Amino acid sequence: MEAVLRRPLLRALRPKTSPWMLGLAVVPMFVIAVLVAVLVWISFQTGMLGTADATYTIRNYYEILADPFVAEVTYNTLIFTVATTVVALAIGLPIAWLTERTTLPYKGLVYTIMTLGLLIPGIYTAMGWTFLAHQRIGFLNRWLVSIFGLETGPINIATPVGMGFVQGLSLAALAFILTAQMFRAMNPSLEEAAKIHGMSFFATMRRVTLPLAFPAILAAVIYMATIAIATFDIPAIIGLGNRVYMLSTFVYLKTNPGDDEFPEHGITAALGVLMIGVAVLLTWWYSSVLRQGHRYEVVTGKGYRPTLIDLGNWGLVGWSFIGLYILASKLIPLLLIAYVAMTPYLAPPSWAMLNRASFAAFHNVDWSLVWRGLENTVLLVAVVPTVTLVVAFAISWLIVRSASRYRYALEFGAFLPHALPEVILAIAALLVSLFVLKNFIPLYGSVWLIAIVYMVSRLAFATRALNSSLLQIHKELEEAAYTAGLSAVRTSWRILVPLLRPTLLSVWIWSAILVYRELTVAVFLISHDNITLPAVIWSYWFSGATNLAAAVTLVLTAVLTPLILVFWWFGRRSLMPES
Amino acid sequence: MITIRELRKEFIVTNGKVAALKRLDLDVDEGEFFVIVGASGSGKTTLLRCVAGLETPNGGEIRIADRTVFGDDPPVWVPPQDRNFGMVFQSYAVWPHLTVFDNVALPLREGAQKIPRQQVDDRVRNALHMVQLDEQTDRPSTLLSGGQQQRVALARAIAVNPRVLLMDEPLSNLDARLREDVRGRIRDLAKQLGATVLYVTHDQIEAMAMADKIALMSLGELLQYGSPTDLYRSPNCTEVAEFFGSVNWLPGRRVEDNLVETRIGRFRPSSDADPGTDVFVGFRPECIQYAEPSEEEGDNTFEARLTSSIFLGDQFVYDATAGDIPLTGKSRAVPTTQGGMLSLRVAPEDVMVFAADEKNTAFVDSVGKQG
Repeated sequence: MEAVLRRPLLRALRPKTSPWMLGLAVVPMFVIAVLVAVLVWISFQTGMLGTADATYTIRNYYEILADPFVAEVTYNTLIFTVATTVVALAIGLPIAWLTERTTLPYKGLVYTIMTLGLLIPGIYTAMGWTFLAHQRIGFLNRWLVSIFGLETGPINIATPVGMGFVQGLSLAALAFILTAQMFRAMNPSLEEAAKIHGMSFFATMRRVTLPLAFPAILAAVIYMATIAIATFDIPAIIGLGNRVYMLSTFVYLKTNPGDDEFPEHGITAALGVLMIGVAVLLTWWYSSVLRQGHRYEVVTGKGYRPTLIDLGNWGLVGWSFIGLYILASKLIPLLLIAYVAMTPYLAPPSWAMLNRASFAAFHNVDWSLVWRGLENTVLLVAVVPTVTLVVAFAISWLIVRSASRYRYALEFGAFLPHALPEVILAIAALLVSLFVLKNFIPLYGSVWLIAIVYMVSRLAFATRALNSSLLQIHKELEEAAYTAGLSAVRTSWRILVPLLRPTLLSVWIWSAILVYRELTVAVFLISHDNITLPAVIWSYWFSGATNLAAAVTLVLTAVLTPLILVFWWFGRRSLMPES
Repeated sequence: MITIRELRKEFIVTNGKVAALKRLDLDVDEGEFFVIVGASGSGKTTLLRCVAGLETPNGGEIRIADRTVFGDDPPVWVPPQDRNFGMVFQSYAVWPHLTVFDNVALPLREGAQKIPRQQVDDRVRNALHMVQLDEQTDRPSTLLSGGQQQRVALARAIAVNPRVLLMDEPLSNLDARLREDVRGRIRDLAKQLGATVLYVTHDQIEAMAMADKIALMSLGELLQYGSPTDLYRSPNCTEVAEFFGSVNWLPGRRVEDNLVETRIGRFRPSSDADPGTDVFVGFRPECIQYAEPSEEEGDNTFEARLTSSIFLGDQFVYDATAGDIPLTGKSRAVPTTQGGMLSLRVAPEDVMVFAADEKNTAFVDSVGKQG
């Protein structure tokens, strides 16, 4: 069959482009473009948004910049972000160093714990720490008040620093994974050279190891800051009820104001545009730091076997540190959630309280709501990772295998969702459904609206994981199939998919778990019908029914645990994807 | 069978474009074993991949058996899966998740030809038999040795009964002894099947051992193509001469047709194509003969001082200086000297003469040293 290709795009992407692959790759790019474009469009409007009667203005931007409340919220967010990265790094970096560079026993276990730690939702830690350190009701504070006879609780978790601490606990696992890779790739002979020339352990650390590690650490800091700036769940769980706002929760407030006020979508959109700007800048900075890092000799492809520092009895100290982290970030919060779910009212644990433990809260939960949430969540978990994987595969394949210049556009487009905070994607989707699609596709209030945003937001990760796996598959394995007469789609199915199976599987499960526990997008887009399980928890929590929220959290955990175990089972046999 | 006209291919690199193929013309006849040889970066693999359809040329035309598979006017491009080739890759590209049998069977079952199910089995076993892999049929391909994987790749390529077989350095990952054995078998197999073969290698010995015709490529251009003896004995430039074996070079002046004067004497080639006044004279080490006493005074003879001699069993390799010019010679007879001097001659048909232009000079910067 002689294919006559005249159209420039197809011509440029040939010879290895199948229209199927191209179609699959272009659709999500279109969705992302529409989301961003509508956000920008609405941000310049006032009055009847999204209609011909709307007035075009830059007043939205002016109002944001002039509003002292926005300034305060921005300041909060800044403090929160700094606290988050400091705490995450202070925990993750030493653990990474311990596992990669010392004789710490049971290292495999550290990896398992940290990877699984990434999957335990931040709302667990947030709820647990609210029970523990809320100024009025927090158990720690109640104990301290009664022991020392204080007026008020000395610890307040509902501050930017406090929330940053909790977010840091939650992101420490990510900090660990990002920096452990760096320690592993570092050429140990650089450190050995310092030692041989008479430098002490600490001098080597200070003058050689850390400076060499600096680009990677800086990159990790920027990466985490990008997440922290727009994160929603922890600031919402801890801060919203206590009227301490971050940018993300402020945006929520503007879209979901009290009953007597109207949502100000123009202002939200303008703030969203500004946040995208900041996130894109941070992402650009991140990738340029990474590029510079690669210029050092530090990162080489060779499998070095660094000399490990003998910890001796200090190994116990190392594990105590790791144990303390696990207690503070995962175990204690989880135990407290269980405790609160089983007790009639919030009171510090005591014999008396434990004697009153019962399953009463479970009777008070609106099970039809939970059931609906579970149904929607299961639907999302089944559909989103699958579609994301198919689309990401097509994009990845075009990026890695095509020789066209357009592949850079595709790469940028696939990476963009990484820079777009989920909060903003949610807002943009809300605006699109409200002002663009309202009359012909009723997506508002539908679970598919949530699904679309999830797919877009999972795309960057899935594409990157597939890119690196695909790069490791020798190009000739595919070319052999083409010359043998197999079409592109058939080649993918018979050659690539089987070879990529471990990656495909772990990306699928990873995405499924993240979709399952996802709160942010759901909270912005829920209505009666499309509520998800995490959103059920959120609505109980926000209405003050903490024990019902805790009870539903236990239901969530009961489903999450087997999923995580499945991931661990497959994940330990394949490359663990970085978040 | 394969006709290539004005083929161009450019690669975009960070600081501009690199021309990998510069308006290249090539004709391969039906049933010919055609070897493209050249140093790395010469564009030989790019040429093969353009023929296969794995790269898209920027211009020109490729016709296979009178069917245009690529052309820019009118624009035609046939995807690789519809070109009906067999190809053996440098990495073999044996699919690691399939058994030996399935590796060969997959193209038959799911390729463009769609062979009926009952025939697939026969065709696969037949192909595996031809490469002597009957015993390994059901083994996972990852458990095979390098040589066996290479044969799986070969079986896969021939199983589809292609009219054209493409091979991209198929022997470069084999150890030296196996390589000699396999190259004979590949040639026999191709001749047995009557397939037209386009074979890429960087190894000139491999090229000469296998080829009906050789094309030497350099920097995206074909320098010369013809039979192995043509290229070895009658190279058209110093680069071709150097590629296929070492040469002793002498600068000289061409004083009349078929007569060149050099610092060590006069040389008469059997023919030269008037390359101009300033020339290089070249002859290969094995073309140097010991002169009979009666010949000592004539053209094409010279005296040289023996500096060293090594006995390699089948021959002697010796270094000598003629005047101030070092030479290397090879012979089966012991180099015998009189007063430390060797009396040597070169037959007219072994004398090569090239213009001392810029291009030729670049490849004889070893003038004075041996080639």
